[in-house]
Amino acid sequence: MIKLDNVTKIYKGEMVALRDASVEIEKGEFVFLVGASGSGKSTFLRLLNREEKPERGHIFVAGKDIAELPGYKVPYLRRNIGSVFQDFKLLPTKTVSENVAFALQAIGRPRAHIREAVPQILELVGLAQKAENMPDELSGGEQQRVSIARAFVNRPLILLADEPTGNLDPATSVGIMKLLDRINRTGTTVVMATHDRGIVDSMRRRVIELDHGRIVRDQARGVYE
Amino acid sequence: MAIRLDYIAKETGSNLARNFTLTFASILTVAVSLALVAASYLIGQGINNSFLGLRSDVQLFVYMNPAASQEQIDAVARELDDSPGVETVDFYDKERSYEEFQRLFEEQPDLVSTITPEDLPQSFRIKPSSSDADVVTALGDTLEAKEGVLRVEYAAEFARQVQRSVRTLNTWVLIVGAVLIGASVLLIFNTIRTAVFARRREIEVMRLVGASNTFIRLPFVAEGLFHGLLGALLAAFAAWGFDALWKRNFVNQVAFELLNQIRWDPSQLWSAIGIIFAVGALTGAIGSGVAVSRFLRV
Repeated sequence: MIKLDNVTKIYKGEMVALRDASVEIEKGEFVFLVGASGSGKSTFLRLLNREEKPERGHIFVAGKDIAELPGYKVPYLRRNIGSVFQDFKLLPTKTVSENVAFALQAIGRPRAHIREAVPQILELVGLAQKAENMPDELSGGEQQRVSIARAFVNRPLILLADEPTGNLDPATSVGIMKLLDRINRTGTTVVMATHDRGIVDSMRRRVIELDHGRIVRDQARGVYE
Repeated sequence: MAIRLDYIAKETGSNLARNFTLTFASILTVAVSLALVAASYLIGQGINNSFLGLRSDVQLFVYMNPAASQEQIDAVARELDDSPGVETVDFYDKERSYEEFQRLFEEQPDLVSTITPEDLPQSFRIKPSSSDADVVTALGDTLEAKEGVLRVEYAAEFARQVQRSVRTLNTWVLIVGAVLIGASVLLIFNTIRTAVFARRREIEVMRLVGASNTFIRLPFVAEGLFHGLLGALLAAFAAWGFDALWKRNFVNQVAFELLNQIRWDPSQLWSAIGIIFAVGALTGAIGSGVAVSRFLRV
């Protein structure tokens, strides 16, 4: 599903964010990216949805080398990749249901499909009762559920999560992780960058550790360190 | 890829409402600049039309000295008969000049009563075989040098001077219009940039979920186009009003002897309006297109 082949990413010609990284992630895997701040976790994720382009190496997503992907095809790559962030990135002027619908409108899905898919996904993330609330009326955990619903409503092949529990208390984080696990069980590949030792240690999934841009550990059923 | 028109209309509409002052300024600038360009175009067409009219009746007036002898007059007449540059000659003696004078000033009997035929010069009215300015001038110079000739006047000369002044003024109107169009492009550019900035959250989400560039950009380009076209609509009304005012104040007024020569057909008014809309749309498209490609990277 995802393959990095000797990938190097350098910012502004000097700061090496990822150095000669090679790794392969199978379809349906759940992978934690761990490491200190600035170790290259976010860069790893940003390379996968072509927010960034590598200086050297090849990145294959679903069999295509996305490092060489022409700009006009990038949106179609991103339709297969859902993204979740620490700060949710919800639109404050839209309701929960409008926020989720927006993701489908933006890729030109027909209205009938949107009317069907949005309540369905809100049911899945457990927010059917809050569909007409505004984001600022929700708790942090609920906001993150909305953002996951938005990322997953188009049923992407891959879900990228950049510290999705970073702003949440431990109890709420467990709920979010259950949701991500459930999404992973539908066959979606999940790659999640995190600092949360408790989550990594309790889930016992594959762990890739980065240090100053290098992959220093790749462990199946691993722990935080 | 289905991009729904109602989506674009809604997004563009909310952008316009959000940015009312900037939008108002750019639409107004577009309108003023296009109105100036249109006025300049119409006057330019008018000058060309009047110039064509004058070209066909270039006339030389050769005024004889009142004291000229009959021999001198005969000599000039012979010269004119023999000259290949002359097509027709008409001789106005004192009586004929007086009749013309009475007719021209019939509304001013006081003036007519103070003049007698004896006061008027005799003259030849010459239609040259060519309306080429050099040929006409050469003929005029030859005649002016003859004995007994008081002076030679070209009927078209004064008109040409007026034309030149109007044309110069018109060039400046066009230059100001062009500069203002440049300002409109910058204003639209800035308005769209502000709109992009105001909607950066939505844009970020759209990019993340894989909205196509066209989908993200179209509402902004549509907004710029709307500025250009609304400005053009206002300018079209202004051009129409200018047309009406010009006709009322100059064309139908005998008092403006030369300005009333500058006139244009309704078809030329329509092409001016066509130019207004074309330039307006282009202004909006360029302003917003540049803003969008500068500030909306994938």
